[in-house]
Amino acid sequence: MADAILLNIVLYLPLLGIALIVALPEGQDDRVRHLSFGVMLAQFVITAMLYLRFDPTVAGLQAETNLPWIADWGVYYRIGLDGYNVLLVLLTAFLGPLVVAGAFSAIQKDVKLFFSMVFFIQFAMLGTFLAQDLLLFYIFWETMLIPMFLIIGIWGGERRIYATVKFVLYTAFGSILMLAALIYLVWSQYTETGNLSFALADLFGTQLTMREQGWLLAAFALSFAIKVPMVPLHTWLPDAHVEAPTTGSVILAGVLLKMGTYGFIKLGFPLFPEASLAAMPIVMALAVISIVYGACLALVQTDIKKIIAYSSISHLGYVMLGLASLDLLGIQGAIIQMVSHGLTAAGLFLMVGMIYERCHTRDLGAYGGLAKVLPVYSVFFMILTLAAIGLPTTSGFTGEFLVLMGAFLAAWPQHLAGDSVPLVWAVIAVSGVVLGAMYMLWLAQRLLYGTTKVPHGPVADLNRRERLILAALLVPVFWIGLAPAEPMLKTEQAALHFQRLVAGPRATSSGSAPAPVVQQTAEATR
Amino acid sequence: MNWTQVLVAMLPEHLLLAGIVMLLLLDIASDRPRGQLAVALAAVIAATLAASVLAIAGYTAEPFAGQLSVDSSAFAAKAIVLVLAIPVLLLARDEFPDGPFYLLLLSSLYGASLILSADSFLTLFLGLELMSIPVYTMVLLAMRRPDCTEAALKYLILGGTATAMLLMGVSLQFGYTGSLQLADFGLLLDTGSPMAQSAVVLVLLAFFLKAAIVPFHTWAPDAYEAATVPVTGFMATVVKAGVLLAAVRLFGYESLSGHLVELLAVLALASIVWGNLAAIRQTSFRRMIAYSSIAHAGYLFYAFLGDGEGRFQAVAFYSLVYGLMNLLAFASLPAAGDDAERDRLENLKGYYQRAPFAAVMIAMAMFSLAGIPPLPGFVAKFLIFRNVIEAGYTLYAVLGLVGSYLGIYFYLRLVVYMFMSPAPAGLQPQPTARLALGATLICLVPTIVLMVYPGGLLRGL
Repeated sequence: MADAILLNIVLYLPLLGIALIVALPEGQDDRVRHLSFGVMLAQFVITAMLYLRFDPTVAGLQAETNLPWIADWGVYYRIGLDGYNVLLVLLTAFLGPLVVAGAFSAIQKDVKLFFSMVFFIQFAMLGTFLAQDLLLFYIFWETMLIPMFLIIGIWGGERRIYATVKFVLYTAFGSILMLAALIYLVWSQYTETGNLSFALADLFGTQLTMREQGWLLAAFALSFAIKVPMVPLHTWLPDAHVEAPTTGSVILAGVLLKMGTYGFIKLGFPLFPEASLAAMPIVMALAVISIVYGACLALVQTDIKKIIAYSSISHLGYVMLGLASLDLLGIQGAIIQMVSHGLTAAGLFLMVGMIYERCHTRDLGAYGGLAKVLPVYSVFFMILTLAAIGLPTTSGFTGEFLVLMGAFLAAWPQHLAGDSVPLVWAVIAVSGVVLGAMYMLWLAQRLLYGTTKVPHGPVADLNRRERLILAALLVPVFWIGLAPAEPMLKTEQAALHFQRLVAGPRATSSGSAPAPVVQQTAEATR
Repeated sequence: MNWTQVLVAMLPEHLLLAGIVMLLLLDIASDRPRGQLAVALAAVIAATLAASVLAIAGYTAEPFAGQLSVDSSAFAAKAIVLVLAIPVLLLARDEFPDGPFYLLLLSSLYGASLILSADSFLTLFLGLELMSIPVYTMVLLAMRRPDCTEAALKYLILGGTATAMLLMGVSLQFGYTGSLQLADFGLLLDTGSPMAQSAVVLVLLAFFLKAAIVPFHTWAPDAYEAATVPVTGFMATVVKAGVLLAAVRLFGYESLSGHLVELLAVLALASIVWGNLAAIRQTSFRRMIAYSSIAHAGYLFYAFLGDGEGRFQAVAFYSLVYGLMNLLAFASLPAAGDDAERDRLENLKGYYQRAPFAAVMIAMAMFSLAGIPPLPGFVAKFLIFRNVIEAGYTLYAVLGLVGSYLGIYFYLRLVVYMFMSPAPAGLQPQPTARLALGATLICLVPTIVLMVYPGGLLRGL
C-alpha cells in the first residue's frame, strides 16, 4: 500500500512541478530551473527507493493501484511496477534531473514553458511505462506527442517546424490504427468472455483467429515500429534529432524511443502470440537490417548529432533482435540494452549539446584535436563512446552480449534442425558490433584528435555542473557493466512471462536452461 | 392534461420563455442596454440548472401525449445544449451591446430545447424552425461586409430547402403509416417499400443539410465566416448539438441496416475527409472552424452506425466536448477590434508571446479537436469509434480514423502559428475582455473535469 502511494507520487510529481513553476512570478528564470531540478531529484530518490524495494521473485504487479476510471467500459486506472517496466521507470526518473540540469544554460527563451513541457513529457513517459490498462497506456502514449511537438517546435533548430510536424504526423499515423486495433481486441475479448475489461492481464490469451491476430499485430506493430524506429520507418528520427534542442534529443534517445520496444515486449507480441511467432523471422530480419543499415548510415554522416541519431537505430535493432530470439537471455539482454542505450545515447547527446553551446556548429569537419584544448570533455566523450561501442565493463557490453548470445542460443538448435536462416541473421548482426566500433571511434578520432580546430574558440572546458551531470551518468553505465546480475534479476520474471506468453511450450527447450545460472550469479553477488 | 406535468416537464422552456418576455418588457420599459445580457444569462443559467436537476432526478412525464415527452436523457440533452449557450452569451457583449440579439438567441434556444423532447414530427418541425429562423437573422445582425447578405441568403435558402425536404419526407411517412409519430419513423427503416425509403432518405437529407454534411455543406463556410464570433460559436455548437441530438431522438434505439448504413457511412466519411482536407487551405479562422465542424458532423453521424444503446451517450458526450472546445477557442481569440483582422489566421502568429494564457487555451482546444489525449476530445472520439467497431463495421471505423488523422495537420498548424512563429509587425497586445475570460473559464473547468474523470458524466448519460 505504501509502495502504491509512493508510485503515484512519482507519477504525479511532474504535474506538481508544472503547478509550482507556473505559480512563480515572471522573470525568475533561475528559480524556475532550480525548482525543476529539485522536483526531478525528489522524483528520482523516491523511484530509487521503490526500485530497491522491488521484489524480483514475485511474478505479477507490485505497488499496484487499481481504481475505476471509466468503469462502464471496463477502463480502470491501473498502474504498477513489474519486471518489464521497473528498470525503464528507474531510467526515466534518473535521466529527469540530468535533463533539467543539462538545459540550465542552453534554454533562455520561454523558460517556464520549457520546463513545464519537460515535466509534462516526464509525466507521460512514466505513465506509459506504468500503465497496466490498455486504454490508459494508449492515452499516455499519445499524450507524449504534445510536449515533444512543442519542445522540438519552439526551441529547436532552423528547420524545427518541418521536423516537429513530421514527427507528430509520423507517430500519430501508427497510433490511429492502434486505436482501432485495441478497440477490436477488447470487443473480441468481451464477446468471448462477457467481461468488458481493458486490463492487460485480462486481454492476454484472448482467442482470435490467425487472420485477426495478423491484422491486429500489424496495427500495433506499425505504431511501435515507428517509435523504435525500425528500418524502413525511421526517416522521421534524424530530422527530429537534428532539429530538436539538446534536451529534446536526450529525452527522445534516452526514453522515448524505448517506448516502441517496450510496446513490443509488453503488448505487441504477448497479445498476439501465434501471429507474433509467425512474424518473428520478419522481425528478426528487420532488426538485423536496422542494426547494419543504421550503422552504415551513421558511418557516412558529417553532422555529429546525425551520427548518434543513426546509431540509435542500430542499437535499438539489437533490442528487437533480442526479443525476436525468444531466448531468456536474449529477452533480458533486450531490456538491459534499452537501459544501456538510454544512458549512453543520452550522454552523447548531452555532450554534443555542450560542444554546440560553445562552438555553435555540429559539422564534424569544423572540429579537430579537442583532446588538447578540452581534456575533461574528451575523457568523458571517450568513455561514453566506448560504452556505446559495447566495451566490456560498460553497460553496452552487457546488453549487446546478452542479445547476441540469446540470438545464437536460439538459432543453433534451429540450424541443427535444418533452418539456418536465423543463424545467418545472428552472424550478420555481429557485424554491427564492428560497424559500431568503426563509426564511433572514427567520430572520436575526428573530433578529439588531429590538428586542433575549434570554431568560435578559444572555449572553456566543462564547468562543474556539466562534469557532475556526466559523472552521474557514468555511475549506472559502469554499474550495469560490472554487476549486471542485480538489474538482470529484476527483469527475470518479466522475461519468463514474455517467453511463456509468446513462445508457449516451445520455450522450455533452450530458453529455461540458463535461468538458474543467472539466479546463482545474482545470489553470489549479493 | 395534467398542469403540474406541463409546468415541470417544460420547466427549462418556461424559464427561457420568461426570459423572452422579460426582454420584451425591458425593451419597452427602459433604454438601458446592459440589463438585456443579465436577463438572458439568468434565463439560460436557470434553464440549464432546471434541466440538469430534472435529468439527475430522472423525472419522466408525457404532458402532451403523443407530441411531447421527457425523460432523464431528454433533460440531459437539453442541459448540454443550454450550457453551451452560456459562454456564447458572455462572448456576445462586445459585439452586441444591445438590440434583438438576446431575444433571438433565447428563441432559438427555446426551439432547440423543444426538439429534444419531441415525440411527433409536428413538435420536431416546430422546434427545428424555431431554432433555425432566428439564426438566419443573427447572421445578418452585425452586417459589416457586403458578403454577409450573400452568406445569410445562402443559409436561408438551403435551410428552407432542408425544411421542404423534411416536410416532404414527413408527408410520405404520413401517407405510408398514417401517423406523424417519431416512433413510427423507426418502422419505415425496416420496410422495403420505395415510399417508405424515400421518406427516410428525405428526412435524413434534411438533417444532413442542417448539420452540414458533405455534399450539403456549402452554406457553412460562408455563413460561419460572415457571422461574428458569438453567432458562429452559437451555430457551431448549440445548433449543431441540437440537430444531432434531435437526430438521435428520431432514430431512437433502432439499429440501422442495409443501404441506410452505407448512405450514412459514406456521406459521413466524405464529410470527415473533405472537411479535414479543405480546412488545411483556409486562411480565415472561422472558415477553418467551419470545415472542422463539417468533419466533426461526420464523426457525429458515424455514431449512428453503432447500436442504439451507445448512440445517445456518444452523441451527447461528443456534442458537449466539441462545443466546449470550440467555445474555448473562440473565447480566447484576440479581443474584438476590426473583425476581419481578428479572423485572419496569420494574426495568431506569435500569439503566445502576446497572450500566453489565451494561446495555451486555444492550443488545448486544437489538440482536443484533433483528438489527441489526454484532452477530452480523445475520449469523445474513442466513444464513437468504439460503437462503430462494436456494431461490426471495422472497416468503416478504420477509414474514419484515417480520415480523422488527416485533420491533425491543420490543428497543429494553428499551434505552430501561435507558439513557433514570430508575430507579424504592428500588432498591439490587447487586453482580453473580462467576460471573455469568464467564458474561457466556464469552458475550461468542465474540460478539466472531463479530462480527469470522464467516467462520471458517462455514467449519467
